[in-house]
Amino acid sequence: MSTLSKWSEKIGRSFEKGRPLHCLHSLFDAVDTFLLTPSEVTKEGSHIRDAVDMKRIMITVMIALMPALLFGMWNLGYQHFLSTGVDAGFWGCFWYGFLKWLPLVIVTYISGLSIEVAFAQWRGHQVEEGFFVTGFIIPLIMPPDVPLWIVAVATAFSVVFAKEVFGGTGYNFLNPALVARAFVFFAYPSVISGDSVWIAESADAVSGATPLALVMNGNMAQMPSFLDMFVGTIPGCIGETSKIAILLGAAVLLFTQVASWRIMLSVLVGGFVTGSLFHTAGVCPVNGWQHLLMGGFLFGAVFMATDPVTATHTQSGKFIYGLLIGILAIVIRVINKGYPEGMMLAILLMNIFAPLIDYCVVKVKVKKRKLNISKHRIKL
Amino acid sequence: MEFRIRKGYDLRLDGEARREVRPLATVRYCVAPSDFRWLTPKLLVQAGSAVEVGTPLFCSKADERVAVVSPVKGTVREVVRGERRSVETIVIEAFPSDPFRKHLDFDEPTTSDEVAGLLLSNGLWPMLRQRPFSVVPSPDSRPKSLFVSCFDSAPLAPDYGFLLQGREAEFREGVRRLHQLLGESCPIHLCMRSGAENACFEAAENVGFHCFKGPHPAGNVGTQIHRIDPIDKGETVWYIHAQDVAAIGRFFLTKTLSFERTVAVTGPCTQAPCYYTMVYGADITPLLEKQTTGAEVRRISGNILTGKQLAANPSVRFYDSQVTLLPEGGEREFIGWLLPGFRKWSLSHTFTAWLFRRKTFSHNTSLQGGRRTFVMTDIYEKVFPFEILPMQLLKACLTEDFEQMEELGIYEVDDEDFALCEVVCPSKMECQKIIREGLYKLYKT
Repeated sequence: MSTLSKWSEKIGRSFEKGRPLHCLHSLFDAVDTFLLTPSEVTKEGSHIRDAVDMKRIMITVMIALMPALLFGMWNLGYQHFLSTGVDAGFWGCFWYGFLKWLPLVIVTYISGLSIEVAFAQWRGHQVEEGFFVTGFIIPLIMPPDVPLWIVAVATAFSVVFAKEVFGGTGYNFLNPALVARAFVFFAYPSVISGDSVWIAESADAVSGATPLALVMNGNMAQMPSFLDMFVGTIPGCIGETSKIAILLGAAVLLFTQVASWRIMLSVLVGGFVTGSLFHTAGVCPVNGWQHLLMGGFLFGAVFMATDPVTATHTQSGKFIYGLLIGILAIVIRVINKGYPEGMMLAILLMNIFAPLIDYCVVKVKVKKRKLNISKHRIKL
Repeated sequence: MEFRIRKGYDLRLDGEARREVRPLATVRYCVAPSDFRWLTPKLLVQAGSAVEVGTPLFCSKADERVAVVSPVKGTVREVVRGERRSVETIVIEAFPSDPFRKHLDFDEPTTSDEVAGLLLSNGLWPMLRQRPFSVVPSPDSRPKSLFVSCFDSAPLAPDYGFLLQGREAEFREGVRRLHQLLGESCPIHLCMRSGAENACFEAAENVGFHCFKGPHPAGNVGTQIHRIDPIDKGETVWYIHAQDVAAIGRFFLTKTLSFERTVAVTGPCTQAPCYYTMVYGADITPLLEKQTTGAEVRRISGNILTGKQLAANPSVRFYDSQVTLLPEGGEREFIGWLLPGFRKWSLSHTFTAWLFRRKTFSHNTSLQGGRRTFVMTDIYEKVFPFEILPMQLLKACLTEDFEQMEELGIYEVDDEDFALCEVVCPSKMECQKIIREGLYKLYKT
């Protein structure tokens, strides 16, 4: 390893201040720390540090997304060949899905990372790792047939206006991946409507109604079975169809303690209770647990609502935040028939309210502390 | 009463001190004003001055009664100055025949002021410290209570029970004199580790005994104050180390002034970890040369969480009773963030070492990542046993929001209470520095 690190040290000198390549130091630093762990040592305070850093956290999230991605690729091919009546086999389906996904992810990363690097360079910062996960999630929540230029524009919009204008990763208050999706939804409604879904590629693309749209229009007969929805063999965005794969990802996130169990649990509870209430009141034919299996609810609960920056930062705030996301998602689904998928808007809305929830929790904590101190005084 | 601390972590390292005490006598002694937080020194000696045990070397500019005295008899060899002529170290060369103690003649003190006067004039007063801020208290003030932590829960920390074995009478006398100093209205709290050897502490009279159970920072005085007698704005609590209580006791019992103390030499790079008795300020260069194994070693006065790196004129700081020798890090690893990490220590479960329940790790001083903004939440709370929101407090300190800092409880904490937060932070925040600077801004206003 010493050869590589010596080589990097030698090249690194050209990027130092006052040298000709200094204008690219953020890019060099990103590549350098990608290949080799930083050589920095502690100076004061704690002399030893935990091995975990932001890169490790982000790669863990990406590992957690893997089952959903791999299944999604296969499913894309499977749905395509199912509708065209061709038997392509397992690898055929997978290869088809991979070829559909690859351009999406390449365009997302090029568009987003170039802006990230430019901003880091401008500010004289290191390139933050946050976009690795954002760029990984965006292709998973976009319709597979979305034009690539729209993906590029949406990604650029979200990176600039949802993140960088506020100061970059850690300062943003909206989830950038969801902002990209919301951007496509509102700016190009013909591409992503929420009630029709792309199935296959042919002379004229085939599309059908999503299960959510079917339910809301009272078309229960044409609905896929709940087992299919759980396994994921239904048409949809790459990442969100298979609930098994998402639960596998959730297991990884919870075991590694990267995502908050408080948020995941309370989103599910909120969704289940609200769904059950609507079902009992006779407003919606789908009951509580079935709601959790439909659309992007589970994907949102596991991967989007748990974004630590845009969620609430206090522990008790997380319960309130998650619960409200669950409730709002189902309310939007059931009440607003024009747009059956409510998860995206519910999370974005709660992102905006998260600082307010934190503010209230902090105030309550401060009051409790004062009470605690006065109690101690009486005891003594 | 027993208190159970649930949030925290015990870092395991090789190199715990064996229960063996060796003497250490050197010729050079170094006293540094920076050992006393935010104390602006007024120098009272100069190079060439002859000093005895108890001769004031410098005093506080704010209150000239608070003085730091020479621990040995000898000559001031050098006054090392740093930036803007600030006094960094006072180097004293001891006489070879120096017995490191001085017999004094004084009448038995009967009032609080007399005890205070004796502590001040003999340089024992700075052993007391005040929360908030961890500064040497003003001789005119009195706290609402005094805390003595009778154990240290930091990694490889010395065992106070062992250090004070056979010194029960000194400890008891020390507590008695502190009680006399503070009066009936100020309770003294003795905090011990439950299940440890506490015989020497239990002999003390007129004190409240408390037992603490659980991982570090159970032994931090901040944790103990928070559980027993939390501090609000305008209140002060004093604290003192158990070894210093015994030193005060020895002073009154034998009428002899001596700054001798026992220090544990520990850490993975130590040849034979054990205890040494030395006089405060002793230059430990020969000791370090003998004990250090390995090429690149960081020498720390104190523990690995809060200690200070030793450079030139290495001596154990005034409030430390531990030296740790830790291997330096800085080696670069190829795609380290992607590898399974069988040998990597992390409180998070993102490395496979956790999966295989690995217990021993070779720690070094690598930062292990790049510095980032606050991203992850819920991490500090796992190792922070206070009813205080740690991240919000850090952010309040960074934004200099004094009102918010006070409301969140900054007066209850000190930088050492945030040491474990700093260790586990994936954004590699300098939590201790942020808190210390936050406290400093409040102290100055």
